[in-house]
Amino acid sequence: MKRTHLALAILGIIALLLFPLGVGNPYYIHLLETIMIYAIVLFGLDIVVGYTGQVSLGHAGLFGIGAYTAGVMVMKLGTPLLVTLIASVGVTALFGAILALPALRVSGPYLAMVTLAFGTIIQILINEMTFLTEGPMGIKLTKPSLLGLKLDEREFFWLVAVLMVLALIVVHRVLRSHLGRAFEALRGSPVASDCMGVSVYRYKVYAFVISAGFAGLAGALYAFSEQYISPNSYNFELTVLFLLAVIMGGRKSRIGALVGATIIVLLPKLLDDIEMFRYVSVALAVGVATVTVLGIRKGRVTPKQMAIPLVGSIALAGLSFWLQTMTDWRLSIFGVIMLFVVYYLQDGIVGFVRSALNLARPKPEEQLASVSLRGGDALSSSATSGSSEILTADGVLMQFGGLKALNDVSLRIRRGTIHGLIGPNGSGKSTMMNVLTGIYVPTAGTIAFEGRSVVGRTSSDIALSGIARTFQNVQLFGEMTALQNVQVGLHHSFASNLFDVAVHTPRYRRESKAATERALGLLQFVGLADLAFEEARNLPYGKQRLLEIARALALDPQLLLLDEPAAGLTAPDIKELISFIRKIREHGVTVILIEHHMDVVMSMCDTVSVLDFGQKIAEGRPAHVQADEKVIEAYLGGQAA
Amino acid sequence: MQILTQLVFSGIALGMIYAVIAFGYQLTFATSDTLNFGQGDALMLGALVGLTLVGLGVNYWLMIPIVCLFGVVQGAVVERIGVRPAIKIKSEFGWIMSTIALGIIFKNVAENVWGRDDLKFPSPLPESPLKFLGANVLPMEILVVVGAVLMMLAVEFFNRKTIYGKAVVATFNDRDAAKLMGINTGLVITFSYALSSLTAGFAGVLIAPLTLTGATMGAVLGLKAFAVAIIGGLTSGLGIVVGGIILGIAETTTGFYLSTGYKDVPGLVLLLIVLAVRPQGLFGKTAIKKV
Repeated sequence: MKRTHLALAILGIIALLLFPLGVGNPYYIHLLETIMIYAIVLFGLDIVVGYTGQVSLGHAGLFGIGAYTAGVMVMKLGTPLLVTLIASVGVTALFGAILALPALRVSGPYLAMVTLAFGTIIQILINEMTFLTEGPMGIKLTKPSLLGLKLDEREFFWLVAVLMVLALIVVHRVLRSHLGRAFEALRGSPVASDCMGVSVYRYKVYAFVISAGFAGLAGALYAFSEQYISPNSYNFELTVLFLLAVIMGGRKSRIGALVGATIIVLLPKLLDDIEMFRYVSVALAVGVATVTVLGIRKGRVTPKQMAIPLVGSIALAGLSFWLQTMTDWRLSIFGVIMLFVVYYLQDGIVGFVRSALNLARPKPEEQLASVSLRGGDALSSSATSGSSEILTADGVLMQFGGLKALNDVSLRIRRGTIHGLIGPNGSGKSTMMNVLTGIYVPTAGTIAFEGRSVVGRTSSDIALSGIARTFQNVQLFGEMTALQNVQVGLHHSFASNLFDVAVHTPRYRRESKAATERALGLLQFVGLADLAFEEARNLPYGKQRLLEIARALALDPQLLLLDEPAAGLTAPDIKELISFIRKIREHGVTVILIEHHMDVVMSMCDTVSVLDFGQKIAEGRPAHVQADEKVIEAYLGGQAA
Repeated sequence: MQILTQLVFSGIALGMIYAVIAFGYQLTFATSDTLNFGQGDALMLGALVGLTLVGLGVNYWLMIPIVCLFGVVQGAVVERIGVRPAIKIKSEFGWIMSTIALGIIFKNVAENVWGRDDLKFPSPLPESPLKFLGANVLPMEILVVVGAVLMMLAVEFFNRKTIYGKAVVATFNDRDAAKLMGINTGLVITFSYALSSLTAGFAGVLIAPLTLTGATMGAVLGLKAFAVAIIGGLTSGLGIVVGGIILGIAETTTGFYLSTGYKDVPGLVLLLIVLAVRPQGLFGKTAIKKV
């Protein structure tokens, strides 16, 4: 973190802690307390929404579970504060794991509906299980005691403030770590995550569990803060409000969560005060009009683009004078704001301010300046011992309905060689890759890698055992930088757990530093060192392919599968590609190469197998295969001369 | 036994309503891979508009086509405002959020126009039950089942037999190819939303005389209909009818034997289980993911 940032953060925290002393009015203290509690929920929700890219409509339910765990424990057992808080976090995290179970199989709209169903069930259960929750009557609580001292409104505020700052630090560290990168990778490309040894299943569950834990903590604090909980507080409206806060504040940003929490707490208060609302809506209309005029003059926006927001804000201002009370129309206003944010403010307020002020996103690895590159290249040497055949596939059959994409294919890959796999389009080459990496489970046949069967194991398990791959259609994590992409490949080199990440133990620091160095080294190896901080989606196509290779090498594979690495590369780039594929082999890594550039295949491969219509039609040394009549027929058709 | 038959009959009537709403989900999913998260609110609006019309003295049977027309307009509005811009920027998050937002707005407007209390919808048929296999069946329940089946048959007939229906099916199979063949896919998607809201509005006026009508009636119905769409599979017509009946009966029996407070639980739990075990639904086909 930069000096100025650190100083600002400390100033902010001090101001926060002094707030109750300066402002005596308990109403404002309670208001700020609520904002901080919501901010804790939003930190967690952002993990699911911002990083893994899933819509969760279940967070009000999780928040409610946290509140009720605290309420029931205090009411029935009279547990002390710390035990209550820990139990709330634990119980809610457990429910997060339950919620994640169906979430494992589905994503997008299905997941949204699943979480909505979950939230609804929770609300019904809280309402109906009167023996535990007192049902619609609700539970009354008093402010808790800490270390024998009964907390008053102000002291409880400090407790919330401290916990909020702690939550902020923990979330921030988690998201900057290999865990955060794993969450983001799931969103970028689930298939590629699995093939980099980052199990989509496992990390989706982690994301939900961590997220739920924060919701639980916030729920418990909320129960003590309000001193009364009832089932109707944790409804659909609250869940939508949370989502609105995350996207409006700005995804993938802790400041965004704070801004969002402030807005959703203050907005209803604002709507209750019609006078105030009239001023604000007029100010908003004037603001939008100014931005429109300036934007059009600078040529940044077209009049057509700005028409809807301009008319909308003026209409809102007019409406505020026409209506006598806004409270009843609160939800409509939330709805309109949501539509506006979805279409005009996709990166939220924080993103908007950043782009307006031309601030780049902060660099992810602050310690980078101190990283020195090691001499030599970053490739690890692969073991050259073991049996001479690294991979044997026997009679592999892959059937999709009536189509046999692979029909009785057998391959023997010798250790330390470059094995070419060629054939016309649709001959089953990429299917073979998918079968080898566990994306497809073959209908019949056996595949053994290093003497161990691959069939039926998950992609991430296979990847971790030493098979890395690139994809025919590039599968990078688009919103992550080139460096981060490679670091995802290095995920396996981390032994740190959540605790290590949260408190930055020496182990985590060491692993993190090593991974950054390795990643930079690998980028240098493929010639992308100066593009390390560029987002992957902004790289030219050829460079994206090179980045995929660097990412695959980060897995320290024994066997590397390259699916058309030369596609989209210029002639000089291809030469370079050839030279570094050779270098990879010199390190003892076995390579299977799918390629249409015959000069590449013929000049490099030790053995070439030819597929046609899912069957292997020839195999042998390149020159031998080149002369094979069946091969010529497959490529050129008809009777070969 | 008599009670059980009774529960089964009301379950079937309820299930057919779920099936009709679920059918609406299928329609939009078919053309654009999107769902209207405010489907329940479309139903609620249909029912309330119908109630107002009946209150103005319009005959129940005459009111139905007017409500259907209203549904068409409402659906088109949802598509234009909430879905089309999101499809254009290829944002899944966008259309999920915007259809939720529109749903909230519709619900809130309804609350302000028709009030927050549940209203009684006058039944167009006699309310004295008929005896059937020893159980009491309301004439309205029979109407619900017949109406639901007719509705779905009509749309299926349209899709299979008319050239416009073929355009819908073509758009479902491959949106880009359909576009290249000169089909106005944007219009087809708008149309599917209009049709989807039409079925929801229709379901609304069918079910309204059996339950109470009010601004909050839509949310849970929409969610449970989604459960039906998932249980049946988002591409199977038979699936949603079977799924609807399973859910309807599960619900009436739970309501009777356990507590009416828990009656929404089986459907939602079923949804979670089906998605966890067989995400493509009981009748759906698995798609092969391409890498």
